[in-house]
Amino acid sequence: MASKPILAGYRIIDFTQYLAGPSATRLMAEMGADIIKVEMAPFGDPSRAFPYRKNKRSAYYVQQNRGKKSLCVDLKDERSKQVIRDLIQQCDVLIENYAPGVIERLGFGWEVVRELNPKLVMCSISAFGQTGPLSHLSGFDYIAQAYAGVTSVIGEPDRPPSLPMLAIGDVTTGVHAACALGFALLDVHRTGVGQHLDISLLDCYFHHHEVNVQAYSASGGAMVPRRAGSHHYAVAPTGIFRGPEGYIMILALLHQWPVLCKVMGREDLITDERFKTNELRVANQKALIALIEGWLQSFPTDAAAIAALQAVRVPVAPILTVAQAVAHPHHRARGTVRTVSDRMLGEFDIPGMPLRFSNHPELPSLQAPLLGEHNAEILTGLLGYGAAQVAELEQGGVLVSAAH
Amino acid sequence: MQPKHVLDGYRVLDLTQYLAGPAATNLMVQMGAEVIKVEIGPHGEPVRNFPFCRDGRSGYFIQQNRGKKSLCLDPKTPEGLDIIKQLLKHCDVFIENFAPGVVGRLGLSWDVVRELNPEIIMCSISAFGQQGPLAAYPGFDYIAQAYAAVSDLIGEPDRAPSMPMLAFGDVGTGVHALTAIGYALLERARDGGGQWLDISLLDSYFHYHEVSVQAYSASGGKVQPHRSGSHHYAVGPSGIFKAKDGHLMILALLHQWSPLCRAMGREDLIADPKFVDNDARMVNREEMIAIIEAWLQTLPSDAAALEILEGARIPCAPILSVPEAMAHPHMIERRTVRTIDDRILGKFQIPGMPLRFSKYEVDENIQAPLLGEHNAEILQRFLRYSPEQVRDLESRNVLFSKPV
Repeated sequence: MASKPILAGYRIIDFTQYLAGPSATRLMAEMGADIIKVEMAPFGDPSRAFPYRKNKRSAYYVQQNRGKKSLCVDLKDERSKQVIRDLIQQCDVLIENYAPGVIERLGFGWEVVRELNPKLVMCSISAFGQTGPLSHLSGFDYIAQAYAGVTSVIGEPDRPPSLPMLAIGDVTTGVHAACALGFALLDVHRTGVGQHLDISLLDCYFHHHEVNVQAYSASGGAMVPRRAGSHHYAVAPTGIFRGPEGYIMILALLHQWPVLCKVMGREDLITDERFKTNELRVANQKALIALIEGWLQSFPTDAAAIAALQAVRVPVAPILTVAQAVAHPHHRARGTVRTVSDRMLGEFDIPGMPLRFSNHPELPSLQAPLLGEHNAEILTGLLGYGAAQVAELEQGGVLVSAAH
Repeated sequence: MQPKHVLDGYRVLDLTQYLAGPAATNLMVQMGAEVIKVEIGPHGEPVRNFPFCRDGRSGYFIQQNRGKKSLCLDPKTPEGLDIIKQLLKHCDVFIENFAPGVVGRLGLSWDVVRELNPEIIMCSISAFGQQGPLAAYPGFDYIAQAYAAVSDLIGEPDRAPSMPMLAFGDVGTGVHALTAIGYALLERARDGGGQWLDISLLDSYFHYHEVSVQAYSASGGKVQPHRSGSHHYAVGPSGIFKAKDGHLMILALLHQWSPLCRAMGREDLIADPKFVDNDARMVNREEMIAIIEAWLQTLPSDAAALEILEGARIPCAPILSVPEAMAHPHMIERRTVRTIDDRILGKFQIPGMPLRFSKYEVDENIQAPLLGEHNAEILQRFLRYSPEQVRDLESRNVLFSKPV
């Protein structure tokens, strides 16, 4: 194990709020970076009001902001702009996720900050990107999802699309941003010169299309991606089947189809004209699903059916609820779910650190900051302000803090 | 010398197949790395047959493997294994996504690899991670999705869950892997030394839960995340609404509720106790949806509705199909969708490069390799094999190649 965290010594000025940006800097905080989270006075990051909330403390905020330092300032005041300019000269990264144009109007656009600090890497995260006809629109996760052609392929064909109850787009955009930042920092190490990264929800959502874009295009429109409920439109059997108790995910692609037939005691199906190829299995999907679900009903429990499929290495899974997943022994053993302790909310569970380095242990004791908790520390420790100056800025409402 | 991109000069030995691993090295190619894709003979990467496919050439394969060099060999022969071991000494990164244990049985465990090259970053990608009760089971995207309590949260409450028709998990896991690789390379550049990264589909999927895990846990089980069709279970208005022509995504959270009421000409709703805050709107969700959908029906078109909502800066979007998204002027201008020209399949479209660096252009003049296309080049360049030796290895089924 290395003696210091992977990003020890790196300092990030973090103007992000809500989810996509804070996800990126959360990963960097977990890798040991010094994150200065600039929160807008008087309320700070709007996600401080997001559920679950108790005694004005938000578990949503805590999950995304552990290990960051909070500097809460009135960004419209010239004195705070000077604080920010001073900080930028001491940082390796500036990250922001305002709508395009806002950071420029605040006085910290790329052309300004690169002059202040030529080694700085600036990362801008937005819904639609910094350029293009949609860039001016406001947008959150689901908005970019709808524009990316993603929403249209989720749900039942006879109903409107379904909304996934988690922010895949925001979090993955944060990971894309953290990813680009890592390589840009590697580039600074080599060249000594920073750059500007333009990461968008739309690009990142669209990047997840592994089949649809190329298949529609290369087939000349013969393959039209569409939502198809619980079973895939292009491969079979691949989907969610009714088990004796609940639902079971089964994927028996290509070479696994004969294996599935054998474990079902239906070797005759391997050569059945209806099911010989993937195309035929897709064409006869209803009959195929009925056969598999009929077989599943012969088991006393879902667990017994899953065990039978696991024994022959056909990919299979129970459809776990969140409550079941957080209690699953694998998730616990691996730290896919972990219990954190917040000084106000106490102990609760959040997702684990998904980046696992053999040289570095997790940093388990990180705390999410109170609003403006580190105002004085940052101004005196980093920028050399005197206590009297800090007090004056607090009295003038330039610096703001709260007890939660 | 000015590098051409952030990974110019870096070399990767890529023993991945299917999607999660290849998605990571796909981005590395586009950042300038030299990626040696080791394919298992005689057939190579299984996705060389994935749809869309014509003349034995797969659009799916091309999308993920442009610009990689193909070395096709049998790693179970002593010569094949030796080639891999020799190449590892010339590489900065070694990445694999076999089931846990497989790479060890091939003779390429981390302990062996670090002996061969103490400065190498090894990245293992798997469904469930390298340890834990589920580690040994086979798994693809949807399997980990089900175990991560993601599948359970997508679809109609009165039906089985719906499967998203795209691989959030695989591509997202590839980006997680790449993020970890980037920071490991940064640490190596600074302090020296390699390490082993353990990245899983399960961790990556679980990482996307921004609300459900903390809300379930911190509320002591009072918040029970559940799928709820086209509208979010916890916040609203947030969902997919029936409009004049089709459906529209509208998010009017917190402070956007009042502007939405005004845009609808229903200022009376702002103070209505049934809708006064998010909790009240969730209790009266059906009535709220009916009011919004009734208003949408009074407008001449979906476009007219979008114009009004955009004018009030309420996040909204049309639900684009994949073909509509691909034809959208914003996607085209920003190259979120881009046209490539494969030497066999010809021109078709794939998603764009989601990581945008201001200092560097993406080299688009790259081709997906034919099977074993670079056997001779790689063996001669790095291992000084003669053309005769290469031919001999091909004749003895250590090396393989095909003109597709």
